[in-house]
Amino acid sequence: MTDDSNMTWFDQLAGYALGALEPEEAAEVEAHLADCERCQAHLRWLEPAVAVLPESVERQEPPKRVRENVMAEVRADAKRAQAESAESEGFRLRDGWLGKLRSSAYGWKPAVALATLALLVVAFAGYEIGSNGGESGGSEAPIARSGQAPGVVAEMIPEGEGGKLKLTNVEQVPDDRVLEAWVQREGEVEAVPDLFVPNHEGRASTTIEDMDGVEIVMVTHEPEGGSATPTSDPIVTMPIPD
Amino acid sequence: MTIRREKAERLADEELMPLIGKKDPEAFEVFYDRHGGVAYSLAYRIVGERAAAEDVTQEAFISLWRSGARFDSTRGSVRSWMLSIVRNRAIDQLRSKAGKAPKLTFDDDSVLEQRPADELTEEEALRRETASEVRGALGSLPGDQSKVIELAYYGGFSHSEIAQMLGVPLGTVKGRMRLGLEKIRGELAEGLA
Repeated sequence: MTDDSNMTWFDQLAGYALGALEPEEAAEVEAHLADCERCQAHLRWLEPAVAVLPESVERQEPPKRVRENVMAEVRADAKRAQAESAESEGFRLRDGWLGKLRSSAYGWKPAVALATLALLVVAFAGYEIGSNGGESGGSEAPIARSGQAPGVVAEMIPEGEGGKLKLTNVEQVPDDRVLEAWVQREGEVEAVPDLFVPNHEGRASTTIEDMDGVEIVMVTHEPEGGSATPTSDPIVTMPIPD
Repeated sequence: MTIRREKAERLADEELMPLIGKKDPEAFEVFYDRHGGVAYSLAYRIVGERAAAEDVTQEAFISLWRSGARFDSTRGSVRSWMLSIVRNRAIDQLRSKAGKAPKLTFDDDSVLEQRPADELTEEEALRRETASEVRGALGSLPGDQSKVIELAYYGGFSHSEIAQMLGVPLGTVKGRMRLGLEKIRGELAEGLA
């Protein structure tokens, strides 16, 4: 290859890196790159110069509505994905503890539901309404308390339309696991977005933004990043009084 | 499913992407907060109108959210990928408005194909250069070189279109573009030394 032809290709590579080639020219460059190590190396060397160009642009503050619009769409997408995932896992869950909770055989009429739930809770770990050991940590009294996994005490502190779920005496979770809370409304189980882990004293808390219509609050161990549907038995199952 | 925001904030972009791929809004929110400003600024620089820049920014981030699972961290930085998506969409809008068919291929995935893995570390280091240093490198270019680079990168114009606009031979435009880009690259490399 001559120096002149190198210069010609290097001219084209600069245009290629900047997106200044017509499609047929770009295709020609790509075909050449496949066989020319020297041009591959030159392009790799040039690309950072293009990558920093946006950094030199004068900064403009995007309007808040951009973030709001993006996140509204993102959250709607996530909700759809979660619903689809729950739907696809429904068959498996029907054989598990959640399936028992959701099964139509238990007919989630409120009174029956609570009675049934109490039985299930006893089967899991020894249900104990009003167990001692939790601190309210707020000005309002807990609306419910219960313990599940041995020694765990859970309490729900009202906060506006939602509530703070506080757990004490929680065993440490491995690095790749988190605690995930779930709420059940009209028989449907929803994930609480705010994942959490216990501190070194075994205390853990999460916020539930909307407690309207919540019949039951549960907590499970889940893989890091959380799950779309519960994958383990609950360490806490707390009926919420009307 | 989401992770706690505080935890997401401690993660690098490349660590956020798998979570975004799993449709984690908290992880994506952190990603937006990190890069939304530069993305909007770039879009505004290209399209020159706030409303259009907002549209481009929104579309680019939604596109990234929906294709996050396809991001391959061995192929380049997430920020570069995201800014390439913004740039492509902004140029697309610019050209559509001007009544021209888009010149570029606006396949967001194709951006990944262009960036070799071994460029990642150096590119990330370069990004940490301050904006003023980058502007300094651009400012040090002869005007005719910076002009053709700006027309190509921010205007989406091809060599031949620029030659026509400036009334200079095609070879001149190509040469100025190469010399300008090589000079920026050289100055950035000096700054890192």
